[in-house]
Amino acid sequence: MNFLLEFYNYRILAEYIPQFYEGLCTTLKISFVALFGSLAIGTVFACLRLAPNPILWRLAASYVQAIRSTPLLVQIYIIYFALPEIPLLDRRLNELEGGILALALNAGAYMSEIIRAGIQSVARGQVEGAMSLGMTYIQRMRHVVLPQALARVVPPLLGQTAILIKDSSLVSFIGVSELFSAGVTVMTERLIPTEAFVTVALGYLVIYLVLLWASNWAQRRLAGP
Amino acid sequence: MDNNKNKTVKNFIIKVEEVSKTFHTKGRKPVVALKQVTLQVEEGEVLVIIGPSGSGKSTLLRTLNGLETVDAGHIWIDNVDITRKETNLNQIRQKVGMVFQQFNLFEHKTALANLTLPQTAVLKTSSGKAEATAMALLNKVGLEGMERSYPSQLSGGQQQRVAIARSLVMKPQIMLFDEVTSALDPEAVRGILELMESLAHQGMTMVVVTHEMGFARRAGDRIIFMDGGEILEEGTPQIFFDNPQHPRAQFFLSQVL
Repeated sequence: MNFLLEFYNYRILAEYIPQFYEGLCTTLKISFVALFGSLAIGTVFACLRLAPNPILWRLAASYVQAIRSTPLLVQIYIIYFALPEIPLLDRRLNELEGGILALALNAGAYMSEIIRAGIQSVARGQVEGAMSLGMTYIQRMRHVVLPQALARVVPPLLGQTAILIKDSSLVSFIGVSELFSAGVTVMTERLIPTEAFVTVALGYLVIYLVLLWASNWAQRRLAGP
Repeated sequence: MDNNKNKTVKNFIIKVEEVSKTFHTKGRKPVVALKQVTLQVEEGEVLVIIGPSGSGKSTLLRTLNGLETVDAGHIWIDNVDITRKETNLNQIRQKVGMVFQQFNLFEHKTALANLTLPQTAVLKTSSGKAEATAMALLNKVGLEGMERSYPSQLSGGQQQRVAIARSLVMKPQIMLFDEVTSALDPEAVRGILELMESLAHQGMTMVVVTHEMGFARRAGDRIIFMDGGEILEEGTPQIFFDNPQHPRAQFFLSQVL
């Protein structure tokens, strides 16, 4: 096993297992909350984007443009440093909350475009069938259109979720200790970049593989046979 | 409510008054689908609308539950003017069931769930009661044992039976049929038509757009012939089929019979 130490010094790394473990947990936590936030934001904005009211769909379109045209790091800094006190909380957002909010808003914009395409792919007849039974707009969306739309866009949503998880490394810039910053710690303290960042990369890979399995499950549940 | 108006329409469950509709598509000539169409349907009556494609018959049917808006005129369903902006169309649609050419079943739900969803979502029925109603209706339309199948696992005829049963769970007063056998093979057509005839015998008010002349003759109380967005001829099946008056009706019948 000693030849391995030259390429990948697992003995030094072993000292940092707690940091990596904590970092992985924080990355998972941030990504998980931001994922559900972004799916909610994405669904709402996709519906707004398709609303007949021009004020609503223009608002949704502008939001997507604003997010697309600016760097995520800048968005994180704006939310964390520039956002004033939140009235209901009576304080400013901490680094974790700010980071999660920025990630959710960012991924939500991209997801809204994916979900919009999914909604538009559901045949008109599905909506008419629901309408003919007296279902309201909300009921049609919730029970008929969105389940079918989301099932169809699980693969692109999975891609966007992978981007979200990788992008969550950027919140280390506002001082959140997550997976990437655990690697930075190893690098600065022991100067072993390969071990530090290959380990970080493997951590992201493992998360992705779990996600892949979850998305296959979700697709089966939503779509029927 | 406007009582004076209601008295005049009291005997008719459907009343259509001078309804016009034009479709505007960008870059194309506007298509006039309905030209001042007026008609009434009595409770329990089976009205069959026939005519060549593009005659406006499907559009007319779709205005009856507000799937198509009208440019001018009025439509009363059970004494409620559904062309008024204030009318809650979702309430009207609970009373007016509709069956489509392409079935329009919810593809992501089983046959049973297709029948329970409208009950639990719209009527707020408990799921146990909704399921009992659904099973009874699926049996009634001849689909016992199929309740766990998804639409894609059913034949066209079976899907159309599910669709008819799904409309019936709402206990509608009126049923609209929009060329419901046009996408089916001949054997399935017979089964669906028999199902519709048994509904008619049970006293359901029905408006049926169809190309099935045999059904029109057997089950129709009254036939309407449409072409170019107008009603050109109207009468009992006997009078219409044996002695059509309008040249275009004569021509149409010579083509299809």
